[in-house]
Amino acid sequence: MTAVLEARHLSKWYGNVLGLSDVSLALEPGITGLLGPNGAGKSTLMKLLTGQMKPNLGQALVRGERVWNNIPLFRDIGFCPEADAFYEEISGWEFLTALVRLHGIGRAEAAERAEKALGFVELLADKDRRIRGYSRGMRQRLKIAQAIAHDPAIIILDEPLSGLDPLGKRKVIHLIRDYGREGRTVLVSSHVLPEIEAMTLRVVLIHQGKIFAAGDIPYIRDLIEKHPHQISVRCDRPRDLAARFVGEECVLNMSFGPEGRSLLLETFKRDVVFGRLPGIILETGIRVEEITSPDDNLQAVFDYLVGK
Amino acid sequence: MSPGDDARKGWIRRSAGRVLGFFFFLGRRAKKTRVFVLIGLLPVIQAAAIKTSELGRQAPAGEGLAIFSNFLMIFYLQFFLVILTLFYGTSVASEETEGRTLPFLQTRPLSKPGIVLGKYAAYSLLTSLIVLVSLLASFLILAGGRLGSGAAWGIFLRSAAVLLLGVLSYTAFFTFLGVLMKRSLFVGLIFGFGWESVISFFPGSTQRFSIVHYLKSLLPSGPRGRFSFLMFRLEPTRPALALLALVLITAAFLGLAGLLFRWKEYLAED
Repeated sequence: MTAVLEARHLSKWYGNVLGLSDVSLALEPGITGLLGPNGAGKSTLMKLLTGQMKPNLGQALVRGERVWNNIPLFRDIGFCPEADAFYEEISGWEFLTALVRLHGIGRAEAAERAEKALGFVELLADKDRRIRGYSRGMRQRLKIAQAIAHDPAIIILDEPLSGLDPLGKRKVIHLIRDYGREGRTVLVSSHVLPEIEAMTLRVVLIHQGKIFAAGDIPYIRDLIEKHPHQISVRCDRPRDLAARFVGEECVLNMSFGPEGRSLLLETFKRDVVFGRLPGIILETGIRVEEITSPDDNLQAVFDYLVGK
Repeated sequence: MSPGDDARKGWIRRSAGRVLGFFFFLGRRAKKTRVFVLIGLLPVIQAAAIKTSELGRQAPAGEGLAIFSNFLMIFYLQFFLVILTLFYGTSVASEETEGRTLPFLQTRPLSKPGIVLGKYAAYSLLTSLIVLVSLLASFLILAGGRLGSGAAWGIFLRSAAVLLLGVLSYTAFFTFLGVLMKRSLFVGLIFGFGWESVISFFPGSTQRFSIVHYLKSLLPSGPRGRFSFLMFRLEPTRPALALLALVLITAAFLGLAGLLFRWKEYLAED
């Protein structure tokens, strides 16, 4: 079976800078998350797969055909770029209908589809306002709307959740999951693991222009959990909390914060620690102000994984 | 011609048509269009002022048309046409790359040469409207009592046709410049107000390396009085050849712009 989206030994350089190195990937219908820290090569891969750039080496294929300058393929592709850029002087409605009409769709049908897409992203009430006056979240939703308005089977979304408030994020996540359930091929990038986790189990990890791992979320989590993870608990009695954790095998190391107001736990079993914490807090009556994971960002995880 | 060539031409034609509609609409909304419409009012206001000052005296016959031909040469041909086509022509590519809106076009079923042709057509249409409406208003005011004369309308129509050819050829050249390089506006300014002005005063065939030479060769008559120096040293090309040269210039630069846009990677340049 031919993959819907395929990268075959793709490489791309920007002058002397390596953007992507020997990336091979085949994506089937459903949602795939492209996960990597900023500058990892996510956008480069997406631009190559949407024919906006030409690879230096290898091939970017859509349904088995090279995508660069292959016009008919774009009937079925929807792309949401990362950049916050628009034709500012027109309204959201005008923007969307015009872009749908660029597909050769007639005026009446374009209006219908634009209406539907604006409804999906909940922008109907503001459709006649100029884009210049839209908030960051509205602009992000409009970008998503233009990617789905022409009803494509392949949807490629570059950081679609950035700039959205939690409610907006939830709605977009639901929308993406619906598209995945409908059997469309969705490739969505993010540098935030929980965001991807909320959309799909299937992820591709990309770092320094290379595919570092590909698989489902549990596999990636296993990879991550082979490395110690930090949890910081800011509370009124960090030493009492530490005393309760001393006997726990899941904890590898402990230290106290600079003012003695927090406890830093190092563990291989993050989920176990998170599971134990509420019980201990309730039993001891410790007043917790904040629980954070100082290294719960993708860069730190990738640094672990590449052995930095 | 292979079926592949036919299909490619079909895509270019269809894409250009779709893009034209969108960018004519966008162009009308653009701030720069409002500014250029206002600039286009300047000769009209001046023409009205001249006519008002003539109210108390008997102006010599044909003076209005003489002033019109001076307007045509000084304001429209040497300034307004160049500045308008420079801004619109270079923006065909640069507004997409600098505004980072290119992905919205590149990820649609549009041929890249079709995008260039469509935007060129939209902006040429817009520019022509701005220029011709301003020219017509100036003519109506200045020609005044001679509006019943076929000769006067002949001068207007020929002047309008020359400006239209100027719009098409300059916009094509500046479109190519915009597709080719990043600092196209600066280079275009040097070309439009440096090269084009200076080279047309060179004797011999050197002046044929400018667009304005062919436009001047098609003009009904040169400016009179103290502005006659603008036609100084003009060694006109025969009208048919001048027309052919302008058509070739337009076709060549548009073709090159389309080809270059098809193969260039603007996102990688960023």
